[in-house]
Amino acid sequence: MRIRFNLGLREKTAERIIRLTLFSCLAALPMLWHGEYALGLLTLMAVYGVLLIGLDATVGYLGQINLAQAALFGLGAYGAALAIQAEVPLPLALLVGIAAALIPGAALTLPALRLEGPQFALSTLSFATLTVIFLNESESITNGALGLSIIRPSLFNIVLDSTRFYWFCLMILFITWWASQLLLRSRFGLAIEALRDSPTATDALGIGALRHKALAFAWGSALAGLAGALHAINFGYLQPAAFGYDLMVILLLGVVFGGRRNQWGAFAGAAVVTMLPNLLSNRTLFSLLVTLGCLLAIASPIRTLLSRTRPSFRQTAPVAAMATALALALFASNVEEWRKGIFALFLFAAVVGLPDGIAGAVTAILRKLIHFSPDPLPVATGGMQPVKSFAGLALHASNLQKSFGGVKAVDNVTLKIGKGETHGLIGPNGSGKTTLVNLISGLYKSDSGSVEIFGVRPIPGSLMSAFSAGSARTFQNLQSFTGLTALESIMVCQQDGGISEAMGWLHTVGLEPKARLLCSEMSYGDLRFLEIARALATRPYVLMLDEPAAGMSKPDIIRLVDLVTSIKRAGITILLIEHHQDVVAELCDRVSVMDGGRLIAQGTPDQVRRDPKVIEAYLGSDDTTTQANNDSGAQPC
Amino acid sequence: MKASRFILTVLLSTSLSSGAMAADVVKIAITGPFSGGSAPMGLSMRDGAKLAISQINKNGGITVGGTKMKIEIIERDDEGKNDRGALVAQEISSMGDISAVIGTVNTGVAIMGDKYYVEKGIVKIITPAAGSASMTQWSKAGTKDLPIFRFAAHDGIQAQMVVEQAIRLGLKKVAILHDATNYGVSGRDDLIEQIKKQGGKLKVVAIEKFAIGDKDMTGQLIKAKVSGAQAILIWGIGPELAAVAAGKEKLGFKVPMIGGWTLSMSNFIDTAGAAGNGALMPQTFIEDESIQRARPFILAYRKAYGVAKIPSPVSAAQGYDATLLLAEAIHEAGSTRPAQIKAALENLKVTVKGTIADWKKPWSKWDPQNVETHEAFRRANTVMGKVQNSRVVLANPSDKALLEGKKAR
Amino acid sequence: MNAEFLALAQMAVGGGLMGMAYALVAYGFQLTYTAGKAVNFGQGELVMLGAFIGLSLTGIGLPYWAAVPGAMVAGAALGWFVERSAVRLALQQRNEGWILLTIIVGLFGVSAAENIWGRDDKPFPAPWPEGTLEFFGISVTWPELIIAAGALGIMTLVELAKRYTMPGIAVQAVSADPDSAELCGIRSKSAISLSWAVSGAAAAFAGTIIAPVTTVGPTMAAALTLKAFSVAVVAGLDSGFGLVLAGIALGSAENLSGFLLGSGWREAPGLILLILALALRPQGVFGKKIIRKV
Repeated sequence: MRIRFNLGLREKTAERIIRLTLFSCLAALPMLWHGEYALGLLTLMAVYGVLLIGLDATVGYLGQINLAQAALFGLGAYGAALAIQAEVPLPLALLVGIAAALIPGAALTLPALRLEGPQFALSTLSFATLTVIFLNESESITNGALGLSIIRPSLFNIVLDSTRFYWFCLMILFITWWASQLLLRSRFGLAIEALRDSPTATDALGIGALRHKALAFAWGSALAGLAGALHAINFGYLQPAAFGYDLMVILLLGVVFGGRRNQWGAFAGAAVVTMLPNLLSNRTLFSLLVTLGCLLAIASPIRTLLSRTRPSFRQTAPVAAMATALALALFASNVEEWRKGIFALFLFAAVVGLPDGIAGAVTAILRKLIHFSPDPLPVATGGMQPVKSFAGLALHASNLQKSFGGVKAVDNVTLKIGKGETHGLIGPNGSGKTTLVNLISGLYKSDSGSVEIFGVRPIPGSLMSAFSAGSARTFQNLQSFTGLTALESIMVCQQDGGISEAMGWLHTVGLEPKARLLCSEMSYGDLRFLEIARALATRPYVLMLDEPAAGMSKPDIIRLVDLVTSIKRAGITILLIEHHQDVVAELCDRVSVMDGGRLIAQGTPDQVRRDPKVIEAYLGSDDTTTQANNDSGAQPC
Repeated sequence: MKASRFILTVLLSTSLSSGAMAADVVKIAITGPFSGGSAPMGLSMRDGAKLAISQINKNGGITVGGTKMKIEIIERDDEGKNDRGALVAQEISSMGDISAVIGTVNTGVAIMGDKYYVEKGIVKIITPAAGSASMTQWSKAGTKDLPIFRFAAHDGIQAQMVVEQAIRLGLKKVAILHDATNYGVSGRDDLIEQIKKQGGKLKVVAIEKFAIGDKDMTGQLIKAKVSGAQAILIWGIGPELAAVAAGKEKLGFKVPMIGGWTLSMSNFIDTAGAAGNGALMPQTFIEDESIQRARPFILAYRKAYGVAKIPSPVSAAQGYDATLLLAEAIHEAGSTRPAQIKAALENLKVTVKGTIADWKKPWSKWDPQNVETHEAFRRANTVMGKVQNSRVVLANPSDKALLEGKKAR
Repeated sequence: MNAEFLALAQMAVGGGLMGMAYALVAYGFQLTYTAGKAVNFGQGELVMLGAFIGLSLTGIGLPYWAAVPGAMVAGAALGWFVERSAVRLALQQRNEGWILLTIIVGLFGVSAAENIWGRDDKPFPAPWPEGTLEFFGISVTWPELIIAAGALGIMTLVELAKRYTMPGIAVQAVSADPDSAELCGIRSKSAISLSWAVSGAAAAFAGTIIAPVTTVGPTMAAALTLKAFSVAVVAGLDSGFGLVLAGIALGSAENLSGFLLGSGWREAPGLILLILALALRPQGVFGKKIIRKV
């Protein structure tokens, strides 16, 4: 039986207490223990802490591999160093450092914004290489490869000796940490995470992709510049080659090793990046570390073996890596020269064994040991309200065309939906229903034809523009924000209102008790309801639901029908793609039927059900199909 | 079994290490790049120094104030990276019981790290880093009391010799090629300054640089060729130098290469092969067993490390001689305290018989106006070497007497 | 004027031939990306290890012709090992861990090479004729020509195998849709492993034909990986022979800009073009357009 302490603390409060304690201890350290070397390491750790918190904004929160951070760090360092050479006061020099990284970083976002994955990585890498070339070649400004020397300035007439400079760096780390937490837990930060999980959904819900990506990158760049400025003052000598790919790889390893999406992780990563290479150069400590690592790695698979199951790759691989490291430490004749290899083995074991990094692993252990009081849920307010009414058609798509290669997915479709109408869109699989919704909602750009939403013509191919015109949609394949909780998913979509309104929307779809659950922990059916709540939270005039009942259980379908009915009652126009005939029949005022990309029938559910063209589409062209057959039960949908 | 004994040893040694501080050893740190691109120089220097130390220890150690003390080595890899070098310097300078430091290959590491030694007054002998800035930074700063000494033919001397050689060969137009590092760029500046100093007899028709790792030098060489250069004055390290030699061969551009001592590195000579023949460079040491003075060291090094050729003979020999000089200074100081050792180094009484030369008072009291006070090598101790059939030989055979020490240095 | 033009032509040709080396390494990226949507950031280290293994094989007396396939077999084993140790788990969990893990495995490879073969660059003996060839005043060496021919040869061979052999078709099926391929009885894991092994063999092959020009050393690969990655992404990670054009373009652009702007700036224009090319065509110049499915 495991003992679980209940301290009656909320997790947030506990984190705050531990953080304050940590910083007090770090600040007190130089008073208890004089050591130039330890102080040098601690200062470096604080500087790297700022740098890695910045890197985490892009690598962790935005989820993109950013290889420009080391170069931005260098730009900040050079900016500050040049400012100090021009005898600018220190606080201003720090600002110059920030600007020196922020401005080129912002310029890079212009071409890099639309990129993802390997392409994003490559564009940042190219920028980094360009930066080092620039620093090396502009000898008249940076002194090129010869390096730039500066003398440490004083801060408002206070001479910054190594202890005071350490405190100064520590203070900046504290502020950075606090500010990052504030920013990244705000709606902006939630939007950045939402963007990582589904850029399509953030566009369709009007959260916007580009500005948040730019903001995350800008914040990361500014911190890189700040850290660079501190670095320049710390060492007093800069050379361009120090800010190349080697440093970048180490920084990236630091963030992942420490734990992503977490300031604690960035801090732990900074500690490891600074301390580990130095620990490894001390033979005794190094052997101790290898032995300890081996014991730690072996503990988890042994526990699994004791419970008579086969250990997973995640458990065995670190053991293999650490065993190799130990073997090298024991048998290699030149252990010193294997140092880098052993460092790599350590990293391998840690990255495989601790997917959430050190911070993630420690948090998991603490959560097992200590029972934290849950954050109280806010009271639900708001919810569905009748929408303003406009004159005219809610949705008017005329002559829409879209082909992929030779396939005409949507072929000359015209659709008019009146205000407040619930319009069903049915048809066999592959008939072009989802493509039509994708055209209307702006995910795809039509080849020809136009869309009007309440008289506004959104820019074709722009989700954001269609959203601004008053539409919102859900997706056939779930586009949930897996890293956010249900409550956060709503908050990030709200145009106005606070946390209690967000609770109100959850209440509307019946997910109130699951507000604090992560989307990745929720069931499929719940996520479908959450997508509807998300769309409702944007207060749309036109709501497009793409197969909301797909994969839902019977009771859930009943809940869904009730929900859509209440949406309808609020006066929201609905375009519903659905395969469940009974759902369509119950909810829809009118139904359009598609087949092979064309609209083949339109009318009330009853009219459509009797249309021979519809029956043919569903049952195939068979001349013997008779009215009687149809009546006897073969129904479309 | 072995593992458990190992663990036990580790645990014991960590718990005891604080208590077991032996007072009868001299602690010397050796730093340099032992991994990465400049590792051949760092490793040869380290191994040369360790050879000297093992010989000293075999004879019972250094006599310090009447007691024999063995030398204990602390090794630190600075990876040729500046900030790593600065941390290593901080670590060593805060250990408290280090008598002296030998090492550094990369000038940037010296610039960033040496200030920590100066703050603590710890003695350091820089070898084989040759960049001018690692000493001139102290004269520029006007440091009064300097515990940093250099044991390498600095770039000023080397550039002087390279330019002299080019003039002696009767050349008029030269191209300067250099790598994009601190070493290459400061070498370029030294060359240009020396050409001016020696009467501007050479016309620099092209200045081109290359990056570490570049393998294709045709662009730079075509420019040199088109501009009519009669020789290439070059500052870089082994692999890139070899690429330049190969490029020259490819373009049929048959002009001499004259450059820094790095043209004697095995990774240039071996890689360039026949294309490297004729390259000229200043040398403080030549791996030639027929030179009586050098023979014992060369054979001992090859035997100790099982190699047929020393990767960087100059680094190895300098590491060896620097250690001998340091040991003598510790002996004369009669103390393991850096301040006394520094004073002894500035005024060595006994002539030390090294593998490079007989060192008679190589350094003198530091004078910020004159960096030469802490530089061991002069123009006169340095000879021109030439690559011939994968070996470095004397460019001028009459210099052999100089290396044997028969001629005054 | 003529001399100037000749010099430019020489630079462009020399750069283009080196660009073929980039394309060859980039092809290794393409092979693994099309199969499993992951690339090996330690691909350059595989090139280096392949070259070293080839060197050791010639060292024990094997002729070059036998050393190359030997190195390729070892390269295939290494490629398989990287997939198994660093990529498979991350891909199963659909996260980006493979980027770091492949870098880490590469780091270990460098350290191992430093300790097994030493830190120095070594010449790589190859039986190619000495001397240079002249075409209209432009000199080209035999090893450079061999790189170009070898790159095209191995790419043609693998592309043919992908189209006309059962394992090749299976890999293509997996790259199109792993789940459907499984339903057809193709083990997608094995297909992905196979593509990594082929990619490793291609890297080792690249090592043995590039090393006679560049020499072989533990750090020979660092620059190569980045260049090859640029070529692969700019051409498009599914562009097939588009890489060759991108490689030649990048190699020539580098050489020409180094010549015209000063050797320090040689990489700059290529990088700026690269960023612009990505901004305009994120899927790569020769890549297929990505359609977002929802």
